[in-house]
Amino acid sequence: MEILRTEKLEKTYQDNGVPVHAIKGIDLTIDKGEFLVIAGPSGSGKTTLLNLLGALDKPTEGKVFFEDEDLTKKDKNQLSWIRLHKLGFIFQAYNLIPVLSALENIEFSMMLLGIPEKERENKALVLMDELGIKELAQKRPNEMSGGQQQRVAVARAIVNNPSVVLADEPTANLDSITAGHLLDLMEQMNKNKNITFIFSSHDKQVMDRARRLLILKDGMIE
Amino acid sequence: MLIKLAWRNIWRNRRRSLIVLTSVVVGLVAIIISDGLSNGMIGQMLFNQINLNISHIQIHKKGFNGNKLVKNYIPDYNKVDEVLKRDPSIKAYSKRVFVTGILSSANNSSGVMIYGIDPAEEAKVSIIKNSIIEGTYLTNNKRDIIIGKKLAEKLEVGVGDKVVAMANTLKGDIGSDVFRIVGIFRTASSEFDKTSIYIVAAAAQNMLNIGNKYYEYAIITNNYEDVDKIQKSLENKLGKDYEVLSYRDLLPMLIYQIEIYKETMWILNLIIGLALIFGIINSMLMSVFERVREFGILMSIGMKNSKIYLMIVIEAFIIGIIGTIAGLVIGLLLEIPLTHTGIDLSIFSTGLEAFGIGTIIYPIISAGNIILSSLFMPFIAILGALYPAYKAIKLEPIYAIYFV
Repeated sequence: MEILRTEKLEKTYQDNGVPVHAIKGIDLTIDKGEFLVIAGPSGSGKTTLLNLLGALDKPTEGKVFFEDEDLTKKDKNQLSWIRLHKLGFIFQAYNLIPVLSALENIEFSMMLLGIPEKERENKALVLMDELGIKELAQKRPNEMSGGQQQRVAVARAIVNNPSVVLADEPTANLDSITAGHLLDLMEQMNKNKNITFIFSSHDKQVMDRARRLLILKDGMIE
Repeated sequence: MLIKLAWRNIWRNRRRSLIVLTSVVVGLVAIIISDGLSNGMIGQMLFNQINLNISHIQIHKKGFNGNKLVKNYIPDYNKVDEVLKRDPSIKAYSKRVFVTGILSSANNSSGVMIYGIDPAEEAKVSIIKNSIIEGTYLTNNKRDIIIGKKLAEKLEVGVGDKVVAMANTLKGDIGSDVFRIVGIFRTASSEFDKTSIYIVAAAAQNMLNIGNKYYEYAIITNNYEDVDKIQKSLENKLGKDYEVLSYRDLLPMLIYQIEIYKETMWILNLIIGLALIFGIINSMLMSVFERVREFGILMSIGMKNSKIYLMIVIEAFIIGIIGTIAGLVIGLLLEIPLTHTGIDLSIFSTGLEAFGIGTIIYPIISAGNIILSSLFMPFIAILGALYPAYKAIKLEPIYAIYFV
């Protein structure tokens, strides 16, 4: 079942007045439950494509459909709603909120959904237990290792049961063993919860786990 | 959790938050002290005028206040005495002979207001007895006179010297008499000291050849706030031949000045508020620009712009509330002792005395102003956060997340 689709997707940046064509007319369909890796060298447009799929960025031309709805026609609030209810993000630099503990970081998006405090705490703790990070509950990001932070980021991304998780180079700052554990975790979530995972990465370990691999070069799918 | 997040955001850069807090505290302390001082000055201006010669209420013959002629004496002072004695709201009153005239010494002369009084009665309604700085207060001796310090300087006279007072009599002649200075007074008003003299009522009546007549009743009521009610009641009891005037009717310029002064204080408070707003804008902008990436994360999680906006406003509001509490505590701790000891502004004595204010100002703490100031600061803090919050929500998520 199709969950994401792009039509003639283009993205052009202005770099000091010089146009940079990051994405050049991509047509792509992604089905529910996929474990997809978008790979390619630096500057190939992987992150740009991921951001367009995740409604963080707007295309210069073309369309992005999420569950058959055209994201390019949505306003800021509607896009926020989709990100909150349907999408989860994992970033290379973890991007946890530094003043909140691991538990609070995971709880935060549930708070935005209006889930009562006790319920969201219980839910977050169950998930942390599942991911083996329950002991980190009260720790702030600066008290955790990179691997631990990324696990918390994964928990935050999936806690609201999103349809799609977009992971931008999630293993780039991790050693191979930690990266392997993290990928195990995400594969498990993909299988158990049928969450669609879309990665951008040039890490071989990530590409090896892909059930579908897209190679991007100069803004186009090879 | 939004409040928790806002609270922690405040303390992530303690130094900056403390600087903003300090500016709120200093602003509030400045407002509390300047309000207290201005209330004290206004209060003293009014108190001095009321207790010097104006009193709470005056009674004259109808039209006397606008036309102070010798013929405009109280039609029936026995009737007025009777009404005042029966009124329980009247604390004390003094009958006065009051005319304008000239006082001359061997060296100089000056236009004056001549108060003919019963010394004992007058001491109950005015502070003149307590303002004697040389010699003594009046006795019932018809040749005694007390004059102001400034007038004594002008006439180059002192206690024991003779002076001649002159004024128009009832028949239109010039009545005059010789008096010996028994006392010199100094009040908070240099103008009053320059133009006022006191003699015994009988001496004034004799000099003006008016018999047993009076021109003015100066009345002190038991409750200052009931003046309007008492004024109305006296008007009804005395009838249309008399004018009953409150201190507000008698001091229109002073009341006007006080109103202007109060408005000026509001303008000053607004200026302090404006300066604070810019301080808060500056600080909150720095805080927003430091957290661009974080706003990107919050947007990527799905936090609505309205919530991000609210979070920044809450941060400023919390700073405003903490600053207000600290400012109130510090302001009151500083001001309460001053309400007892006063603030010595004798270096400005010339100006203050010209306005009828003493050189020591006793601040008056007004609960109403304190409450208003307490609401003012958090409001100012919120105003200061509006623009930075607007800047934050104008960020594009993609720009914010990858902001370095």
